[in-house]
Amino acid sequence: MRSGSVPEARWGLRATQAAVFVLLVAAWEVASRLRWLDPFFFSRPSSVAERVARWFASGEVYVHIYVTSLETLLAFLVGSLLGVGVGFAFALSPALSRVFDPYVKVANAMPRIVLAPIFTLWFGLGILSKVAFGVTLVFFVVFFNTYQGVREVDRNVLNNARMLGATDRDLLRHVLLPSALVWILSSLHTSVGLALVGAVVGEYLGSARGLGYLIHQAEALFDTTGVFAGLVVLAGFVLVVDLLVSSVERHLLRWKPPSHVEEAL
Amino acid sequence: MKLASPPGTCAVRLQGCRRSFRTPDGGVYVALDRVDLEVRAGEFVALVGPTGCGKSTLLNLVAGLLPPDAGRVEVFGSPLEGINRRASYLFQQDVLLPWKTAEENVMLGLVFRRVPREEARRQARAWLERVGLRGFENRYPHQLSGGMRKRVALAQNLIVDPEILLMDEPFAALDVQTRQLMENDLLRIWQEERKTVLFVTHDLEEAIALSDRVVVLSAGPAARPVGEFPVDLPRPRDVTEVRLDPAFGELFRRIWDLLRGEVLRAFRLGP
Ligand SMILES: Nc1ncnc2c1ncn2[C@@H]1O[C@H](COP(=O)(O)OP(=O)(O)O)[C@@H](O)[C@H]1O
Ligand SMILES: [Mg+2]
Repeated sequence: MRSGSVPEARWGLRATQAAVFVLLVAAWEVASRLRWLDPFFFSRPSSVAERVARWFASGEVYVHIYVTSLETLLAFLVGSLLGVGVGFAFALSPALSRVFDPYVKVANAMPRIVLAPIFTLWFGLGILSKVAFGVTLVFFVVFFNTYQGVREVDRNVLNNARMLGATDRDLLRHVLLPSALVWILSSLHTSVGLALVGAVVGEYLGSARGLGYLIHQAEALFDTTGVFAGLVVLAGFVLVVDLLVSSVERHLLRWKPPSHVEEAL
Repeated sequence: MKLASPPGTCAVRLQGCRRSFRTPDGGVYVALDRVDLEVRAGEFVALVGPTGCGKSTLLNLVAGLLPPDAGRVEVFGSPLEGINRRASYLFQQDVLLPWKTAEENVMLGLVFRRVPREEARRQARAWLERVGLRGFENRYPHQLSGGMRKRVALAQNLIVDPEILLMDEPFAALDVQTRQLMENDLLRIWQEERKTVLFVTHDLEEAIALSDRVVVLSAGPAARPVGEFPVDLPRPRDVTEVRLDPAFGELFRRIWDLLRGEVLRAFRLGP
């Protein structure tokens, strides 16, 4: 990396990104005002902004954001814990992994969306069915990464720790878990994203609260402005979650060397 | 610090040891056979032999990481079962944990021994200083050079105060200058601590410069010690200066006469 030119390059990039955004929004607004786009189907940025502002002003949107956040968080936590647990069990017990290998493959290959109605049936319209749905998405990503992470641990590294006096529990805590964590963290964006997808899609299919419900509701009323406003709130939400994940990742992976690709650029 | 075991006792004894491996095509490859070897307490023994003859395998037997198929491994007179708790092992490969700092890596052995954190940290700092890494305590392995990582690994091995130190070509990957510095540091520390050392190398000059005795391993398969040469060069030594000693050259020629044959044999047999 050529230091010095980096901040300028970054500012240039940010400015270009902002310009693209402004241009697109302006084009949309103008096209809609000139009736090139039918406002009934396409709404317009100013109306969308106004709606979003009203939602926040009246406070009615907060409960939806809260519910979606809660579902996302729970799906992520439960899916990750299960994934780490089962991933470890499989990696440390070849017998277990041989027996269950075909089941895991089939379960992972199945389009999970078909489960959503069943979960609604089992767990009702509340947050539980959304969490369960999100868990089925998150679980496999974390599971595969944990399994890989544990299997990839270098034999010499393990032997070195053993020679230094590590018990099996020490190995788990100081070598195997951190090693798996590297892999799990590398998929953190994906798994958090999937937890969110699970929550929103679940809400969309049947619920009384949440950002997915908000969008679905507007859609049912042919309220295009409402749909776009819901999408804007969702996009903002995703952005915030992603920033949070990035900062957690940066903190936990601070020991990592910068990737060679980044260095070469 | 623990009192060193009385000199003259036998720290390591291999008797008729044999170790084989399964080959990918379903056969069996006998790496070591009929290996007899004794290392006295406080002695620095260098083990040389052609690449692939079974030097690392022999160290693994002494470390208790591999059991022999036949024969006995004794440590201070008792048969070895499982991991050798009285030895530490400096591996050929990089084995530091990348997510731990130099200091955390060095204190690992103490953490496993349930030494309180603060005490472990204090000792780790002291050891880092002894291997010349003061000020690098909070660096992660990727922020250190290859030579520095080896120093951290050395400190990591020495902090647990092992009676026996096994070393597998520890300096093979280093450039000549770094290597000579580290060899001298190792000799200085050994002089102070009088550990029993079993040092594997494929570099005969290094073997002579460091050790009290050079053991030559034959080419595989069924490798075994085929020659032993006491090194009675004066101590304390400087590895660069000791090479200029006429006795060094004489010893080198005698050992090389034997080793060359094994190296050629290994080369002809191929891997
Ligand atoms: N785990 C293993 N599985 C199969 N073969 C092995 C294994 N470890 C060592 N060998 C074989 O045993 C021989 C000796 O290996 P090694 O002890 O590593 O040699 P050296 O350290 O002298 O270079 C080699 O031919 C190697 O291929
Ligand atoms: Mg080797």
